[in-house]
Amino acid sequence: MSTNRRWTSGMFATEDWWSLWIGLAIFAASLLSLAGIDLVGWMVRPRPWEWTDVAGGFAFSKLFGAAGATYSAWHPLVAWITTYVVFTALFAVGAHFQKLDVRRFVLGFTVLFVVTWAAWIAGNELHLTMVDATIDGRNRYRDAALAWGLQLGEGAPYLLALFAGLAIGNLAKGFALRLAEAAKPEWYIKTAIVFLGVNLGAQTMQASGFALELILTGAAATFVAYLFFWPIVYALARRVFGLQRDVSAVLASGISVCGVSAAIATAGAIRAKPVIPVTVSMLVVVFAMLELIVLPGAYTAFFPDQPIVNGAALGMTVKTDGADAAAGALLDELMIARNLQLTGEQWQAGWILSASILTKIWIDVFIGVWAFLLAILWINKVEKRTGAVSISPMEIWFRFPKFVIGYFLAWLGYLAIANGWPENAATLAAGTAVVQSPMRTMLFMLTFVAMGTITDFAKLKGMGKLALLYAIALVVVIAPIAYAVAYLFHRGLAPPIAVL
Amino acid sequence: MSARELVLSYEQNRWRACGAGVDVTHAELAGLEALISAELATEHDAIDVHVRFDMAVLPRWLHQYHDHYLNYVLHLPPQRAAS
Repeated sequence: MSTNRRWTSGMFATEDWWSLWIGLAIFAASLLSLAGIDLVGWMVRPRPWEWTDVAGGFAFSKLFGAAGATYSAWHPLVAWITTYVVFTALFAVGAHFQKLDVRRFVLGFTVLFVVTWAAWIAGNELHLTMVDATIDGRNRYRDAALAWGLQLGEGAPYLLALFAGLAIGNLAKGFALRLAEAAKPEWYIKTAIVFLGVNLGAQTMQASGFALELILTGAAATFVAYLFFWPIVYALARRVFGLQRDVSAVLASGISVCGVSAAIATAGAIRAKPVIPVTVSMLVVVFAMLELIVLPGAYTAFFPDQPIVNGAALGMTVKTDGADAAAGALLDELMIARNLQLTGEQWQAGWILSASILTKIWIDVFIGVWAFLLAILWINKVEKRTGAVSISPMEIWFRFPKFVIGYFLAWLGYLAIANGWPENAATLAAGTAVVQSPMRTMLFMLTFVAMGTITDFAKLKGMGKLALLYAIALVVVIAPIAYAVAYLFHRGLAPPIAVL
Repeated sequence: MSARELVLSYEQNRWRACGAGVDVTHAELAGLEALISAELATEHDAIDVHVRFDMAVLPRWLHQYHDHYLNYVLHLPPQRAAS
């Protein structure tokens, strides 16, 4: 049984809290680099490879190797096994405290981990990633003499991971069920978002004005989601589709605020029967996957010169943290590759993703306040039970996404160290680089695979009216307004140019 | 004023409240609360019933998105005052 009583309830019993613990624990381990101790450099990182080269003389070191210089002498397989053991152990401890079946979790996690790495390594083949662009007078694509290339940049591994997950979730449903205990995309992405806080710290040190602007304008998205999208979608559900009040409210939150989380919070606030958020949540998960598949590619194709607008628009449009972050990561890589093709300039990685995440996080943060206000309104105006039922303000805390605390602690922690001891800033950047990049990317990859395995498109069957409402609201209301608002705030903004 | 605590769940299309010597079910939450009132309300004392939803009712895959449904307080006035 899990019922919240005190403010500390659930600190060791929920995925949300465990993403904070695991994220901050690894960040803390990386900080030991300031004392000259590298505790995270064993993390393995894939390397770009070309298949004729590997077929001609196979070596694991051509495919992947330890990310940290301290561990560069390690055999790649030893580094890979260490990576597997450490992350499996960390998440298994979390699974134990959450009272999951640890054996099933470890087995499922192992499969997801192997699929993730297969996709990550395969996705680094040069025919998939290499971009035909001249940088500083040199064209590596031409140098490599590739006969063909998809030129997807680092987006290629994400796409492979997504399709691998979807294949399991839709073509091998029995197998997907056996992975269910470990198919926790929200847990993995929330942990990755805590790592992203470290990344935001490094970004803030490089371009503080830009980072702060993203943080502050992200807050504006909150008003759009709650005060603009929600009433429109609610009215659409009530007046055009004739849905009941409770179904309309839950659906409006799911479609226009932050997906499954908002659907559950709203349903709880208005004391709806639990079957309503469960149904809406299934719908949100499938639509979020469709958004993830379509929007990054579409924005890259149609608006290649508006990177930050695209990122922020995704943050307002794509529901659930996992799908939004995954879409942001994919957009980041596709936009960087496209811009490289068009201009020969490479944007710094992570800024477009940050625009997407920061927009979404602000929306997440206020879900507790929104649900609290909605609960008061519902009890007093709809149910007319003033004085008979009351809600404690503690509900706001119970609904607060705890991983956001980890994200901001990692960000502020990084900034405090870098600004407090500027002589150590370079060591800090180098020591946490493994957390910012390969560890964070691996958890994103795990998220792609896990999301695919839990997305069953067949669940759309029998949801005709609700699915139609969702599609109309998304295409006619959410996506265009989100893009217009993002354009208003971010038009013309682009990430800094990477130093290669 | 005294307080009681009940755990709320939802099974087979019916709300259920358990605890403090009470175990009642009803298709509607308002109906369930009327049953709780009938069981717990006293003639002289106002009672606050702290109702906490058991998250185990929701499918496990949903918990990763949001791990709280609802808690609320049901205020039961003294029956004498109510009548």
